[in-house]
Amino acid sequence: MWRFALKEGGKWVLALFGALLIAAALSALADPGPYLAAFGNRLMAFLSLDPGRSTISGLPAARELAMHGPATADVVLLGALMALMLGLPLGLLLGTGGMRRATAPVIQIVSAAPVFCACLALAYAAFHLFGIRPDTASRVTTLFLPTVAVGLAGTAAVQMALRRAASLAQDSPFRLGLRRLGLTAMEIERVYVAPQIFAGLLESLGEVMLTLLSAAVVAEWVFQSHGIAELFVKSVALHDWSMAAPILLVFAALTCTAEFLGRVGSRVLMRAAS
Amino acid sequence: MSVGMLTPELTRLRRILAAAGWSGLGLIAIAVMLADFLARAPLGAAHTGPVLAAPSEAFPFGTDLLGRDMFSETLYGLSTTVAQAGEAAVLALLAGGLLGFVCAHLPRPAGNVLRWAIGAFAAIPALLLALAMVALTARGYAGLAAGLAAAPLAFVRAFDRARAAGRLGHAEYARATGISASALLNRDLAYEFRDTLLPTLARALAAVAIILSTMSFLGFGALPPHRDLGLMIAAARTSYLEAWWTVAFPALALMLLILLARLAAGLDEGERP
Repeated sequence: MWRFALKEGGKWVLALFGALLIAAALSALADPGPYLAAFGNRLMAFLSLDPGRSTISGLPAARELAMHGPATADVVLLGALMALMLGLPLGLLLGTGGMRRATAPVIQIVSAAPVFCACLALAYAAFHLFGIRPDTASRVTTLFLPTVAVGLAGTAAVQMALRRAASLAQDSPFRLGLRRLGLTAMEIERVYVAPQIFAGLLESLGEVMLTLLSAAVVAEWVFQSHGIAELFVKSVALHDWSMAAPILLVFAALTCTAEFLGRVGSRVLMRAAS
Repeated sequence: MSVGMLTPELTRLRRILAAAGWSGLGLIAIAVMLADFLARAPLGAAHTGPVLAAPSEAFPFGTDLLGRDMFSETLYGLSTTVAQAGEAAVLALLAGGLLGFVCAHLPRPAGNVLRWAIGAFAAIPALLLALAMVALTARGYAGLAAGLAAAPLAFVRAFDRARAAGRLGHAEYARATGISASALLNRDLAYEFRDTLLPTLARALAAVAIILSTMSFLGFGALPPHRDLGLMIAAARTSYLEAWWTVAFPALALMLLILLARLAAGLDEGERP
């Protein structure tokens, strides 16, 4: 187990270093001097935890991150919570046996909606049902609606991961063997299949995180919630690379960390189950 | 591509759905090619009807803020989206799936370095990568950016799949009997893409259509007058609360394209495009 964790830890460090190189390469575009020298300088600055200054606002990028980060953290964390609360029961309910196959086309149809279409539908519903205009700044428009949009995208991702894992477990040959050993279907599901399904979800944690972050970018843009995801879009549009690079690094680090934790968690779960 | 063992009924159902997906994509391709004939007004023609007219017999999809016929505009928007997404999907397939598969057959250290380098890009949401690429080049390269942004994840998946296949019995046996690495690569490539080329392309089409339309929605994609569906939806943000049809029809067209591409790909349960 420790060997596995160390190996995965090594992969995680390498992935973070790769993301750091990409961020430094992007950030170096903001420097007027020779590119390679600028890249070296930015890399060293990132390693000493100094991501530089925003060329638009003139503020240190770290301060901008600290100012805008909490808004995105709220949306992503609450969205993740909603994704788990909705996605887990739905995934378990709709992801087993005949139900899984019957609902497969519905899931494909629902998940064919891009996040920005879902955001606009939410804004339309909020306006016509509760009279809330999406362009007015309030907690509902800057926190609740983006959270719901991110949560729905996350729910779809959790669903997908659970269905994939359930699909794999469904046809595993061990089921027949265990039935022949005299175990009931319920015992097999509870003791052997459930850990496999949850381990499958943990394995896909990086994928879920990618979905949550992508959805946060769109949701913050639509609902004018001023988090780092929206700041990234503005920075890229204005070619403020010294601001866009650290945001990209933060997002990549979150994905790598989720992937690492998911893999280790999945292994721990499977070992505990066996 | 298969997630689990499929029963004959399920295989048959999947084939029917895939055929429906390809037929739908074929119809979309025909509609796009005949857009100039099917459209009721020229591209971007303003004041063809009253401003923000609701769907009616004269204007089945209604009109927008400039009095443009929404049916014609949705058709033109779909044409732009399909053209760009088609290019991007081919690029994602070549720079992602194919390259990943070939790199997995390189000598192990070289393959591992490439896997690590491209894997670092796969940790960044594809949308963000695409936005950065467009900002570094020009909005005219949105298709290229979307294709390249979708490629890292496809590369990593193809690489890992090919490496896993390389550990299978047939590969060990081939190496032991002196079959060259290039011959083994040719054989694996043929098996990998013979049956899965079109589904993989359809899957890439679904993924890049989402990225491209989102880029346009955020202002990084198509340039007027050649508006794609994402840009049409973005432009309708000022009017859609009172005139739902200005967003609903382009959004439905986009969702239909994505759904048909997913059906054509024959996506397994839980499989993401």
